Amino acid sequence: MNRERPSAILDAGITVASGPILVFSLYLLAAGHNQPGGGFAGGLVAGVAILLAWTGGGIELVRRIVPLRSSALMGTGLLISTVTALIPLMLDLGFLESGYIEIALPAIGEIKLVSAVLFDIGVYLLVVGMSLGLVRALGEPRRAETEEAS
Amino acid sequence: MVALILGHVVLATLLVLARARVGRSAFAIGAVGPAATLVYAAAVLPDVLDGGSRTANISWVPSLDLGFDLRLDAYGTVFLLVIGTAGVAIFLHATRYFAGTAKAASFAATMTLFAGAMTGIVVSDHLLSVFVFWELTTITSYLLIGYSDHLARARSAALHAALVTGAGGLALLGGLVLLARESGTYLISELDGSLAAGPVTNTAFALILIGAVTKSAQFPFHGWLPGAMAAPTPASAFLHSATMVKAGIFLVGKLGFIAVAVMDWWFPAVATIGFITMALGGWAALRQTDLKLLLAYGTVSQLGFLFALVGSGDRNLAFGGLALLVAHAAFKASLFMTVGAIDKLTGTRDVRLLSGLARSQPALFWTAIAATASMAAFPLTFGFAAKEAVFDGLLGLGPVFITVATIASILTVAYSIRFLVGAFGPNEPDTDPATAPPGTPWGLLAPASALALLGVALGLFPTLPKKLIDLAGDSNPGALDVKLAVWPGFVPALGFSLASLALGAILALTPRLIGPISGSTQITPQADALFASAVRRLISTADRISGIIQNGSLPAYLGTILIVAVGLPLTALWRIEGLAVPAPGSAIELLIAAVIVVATVGLMVVRRRFAAIILLGAVGYGLAGLFLVLGGPDLAITQLLVETLVIGLFALVLRRLPAGFERFRLQPVRLAVAVSVAVFVFGLGLGFGAAEPDSTVSDGYLERSVPEAAGQNVVNVILVDFRGLDTLGEITVLAVAAIGSAGLVLPIIRSRREEA
Repeated sequence: MNRERPSAILDAGITVASGPILVFSLYLLAAGHNQPGGGFAGGLVAGVAILLAWTGGGIELVRRIVPLRSSALMGTGLLISTVTALIPLMLDLGFLESGYIEIALPAIGEIKLVSAVLFDIGVYLLVVGMSLGLVRALGEPRRAETEEAS
Repeated sequence: MVALILGHVVLATLLVLARARVGRSAFAIGAVGPAATLVYAAAVLPDVLDGGSRTANISWVPSLDLGFDLRLDAYGTVFLLVIGTAGVAIFLHATRYFAGTAKAASFAATMTLFAGAMTGIVVSDHLLSVFVFWELTTITSYLLIGYSDHLARARSAALHAALVTGAGGLALLGGLVLLARESGTYLISELDGSLAAGPVTNTAFALILIGAVTKSAQFPFHGWLPGAMAAPTPASAFLHSATMVKAGIFLVGKLGFIAVAVMDWWFPAVATIGFITMALGGWAALRQTDLKLLLAYGTVSQLGFLFALVGSGDRNLAFGGLALLVAHAAFKASLFMTVGAIDKLTGTRDVRLLSGLARSQPALFWTAIAATASMAAFPLTFGFAAKEAVFDGLLGLGPVFITVATIASILTVAYSIRFLVGAFGPNEPDTDPATAPPGTPWGLLAPASALALLGVALGLFPTLPKKLIDLAGDSNPGALDVKLAVWPGFVPALGFSLASLALGAILALTPRLIGPISGSTQITPQADALFASAVRRLISTADRISGIIQNGSLPAYLGTILIVAVGLPLTALWRIEGLAVPAPGSAIELLIAAVIVVATVGLMVVRRRFAAIILLGAVGYGLAGLFLVLGGPDLAITQLLVETLVIGLFALVLRRLPAGFERFRLQPVRLAVAVSVAVFVFGLGLGFGAAEPDSTVSDGYLERSVPEAAGQNVVNVILVDFRGLDTLGEITVLAVAAIGSAGLVLPIIRSRREEA
């Protein structure tokens, strides 16, 4: 718990808010190819949500909201991006060359699935992992806090 | 062929996965690998003898022209047969040798993988896949030599081998790439003597030669091979009779005829290196007391001979050399296994302790006699037939070659006799002899005997392998005019063979001529120490340089970055066409600019860290606002988010720092750096304002965004598609930085907490 500014309302509000912010970060990721946003921005928004969660509930809450290891997130992200970049080579295309397929969905209409979005998902995961790693490392409870807790 | 190589990998994987279950049969299972190689080679043999070849291509990265191009011709088939035959025998021998050893399964897996890599080298037609398999043998041999990882000696020997052959591998890569660029093809089968001579070709072949020299333990890089005797004996038998060290010979043999056609230095270089190695190795082998080291130096010597012959690019020498290579693989593997059996039975390999084994191990004794006879080129063995062919070929080249070869042969005969006498003869009476119970275990003996018998059988019927060996060397120009026969008739070459045998016997039985038996592990005692000290010095120099570059001072790092950032672009100052006075912006722009200026000034005067961070954030938000106003929403969003996250992270750090800054002291150097950066950036802004904007790049991106990348947000399309490689690099840096900083911060925090 963050004991520096104890405020139940702030804590509760922040805890509630971090969920929707995470969803918004996914929206940015999905929308990025045609509107402002993208994997990097989306990942940063998720990072802000993680930071908020820390402010509200400390390292415990961060662990509850994102129960993953930061290195696993970063590794998966880098792997996805690298593989997406390499696959075209095996199809006799250029490095990172992208392709897309168009799908007509009944209610939504026609959407394009672009392979570059996969690359962006990798970027997103990596940025989330980076934020998570930094918040976890820097947000370790201080000496006074651990004594208080025990 | 592809299945053959992949099969080795699968087999090795299975062995590792099932290591708890396979128990003592691990090597018997691993033997399936070389057995498959042998069967495959035998299956294609009729085809190959008709002058055909097998090819397989798997397209892998077509856009980079990378693929697995495999090609098996007569030359490769000779090596495949050698690898397969020696491999099966050694794996079976190892089954008994490693019975009851805990790590046997993983060792068997590594050796299977090694056999697969070796097979890969031999059947590769693509220069780069040769390199890949070549390096795989380096890595797996590191694991094989360092098997006894609790011994510092084994670890350092493995490292020595890996460093030398690894460095040679880098040279090889450079050489292969240069060769491919110069010749326009990566396929060995497309290379021919029409390569243009010139500095590039010379460099390419010099680098390839360095790679081969290190791999085949040639002078002056021979030092790693005797050290590698720290490996378990079956591994030594495999690595140093049939495989690893033959890779270098394979390569010079494969490319030798091209090199000779283009460069006149190739043959003298290969011959000099080979003959020096041959003489030094033979002399050192004579002076060993450890049977295995005796064989190791004998191997160095034989490899020198093979290197010079097979790499010569000469039709007759290559023919004799390949025959000798086959003979060498058979007798050397057999002898290594004999030593392994002796070691298992008596617990020592020291000739000063061994005694009476001729009586207690008669079968092993006769095996050793047969194998040694082939090594010493005694008539009626394949070693003899091969050496006759070699001598015949060398006679045509002049007196120097035949003289050196004869001297080396005398040494070979001498150390062969010393091996036999030392291992099986009676001991001097004043030492406590190491004896063994009578009878050699079947599993240790049979594979060694089989290979020794093979050497004799081929010697009695040398016409069997003749056709294949002849075809294997036919890329070298010229006509074959040496024979491979049971008895050559009374020709000059016979005189040299018989003289070698006689003089070698005299030398072996006259200890006075050999000098003191040192038992030293090095030809020149300093070689090992020299290598160790070179490695030490390299590390300490690297340490010192890192100490200077990475001195740990943040102001020094920052100062260096800023000075370079200002200084380097200054060299392009002459391109600035003039300074422009910017037009006043809109009201909102001016307002944001005012906020930024105020926040910046405030940043410099506040005394509390928290206030400084808020002001820094204000500068960042102000910039984001400017981006937004100027029409860059993506940039604005990213700037805004980065700023928010950074403020938050700063706040986390602040919990552990004092609330206020230290007292401010003006430091002239820092002031100078700061002022020059300010002036430079401001000037650059004015200069850019005056330049004509060139919009071809951005227009191009805008045009191509929707049709090529199916995205309307051109900024994001640039990031993930057009300039995706940049992004890939950046996120990699990001990941490294995040892991690094977390790794730095956490231990500090935790250790402080423990102290409290």
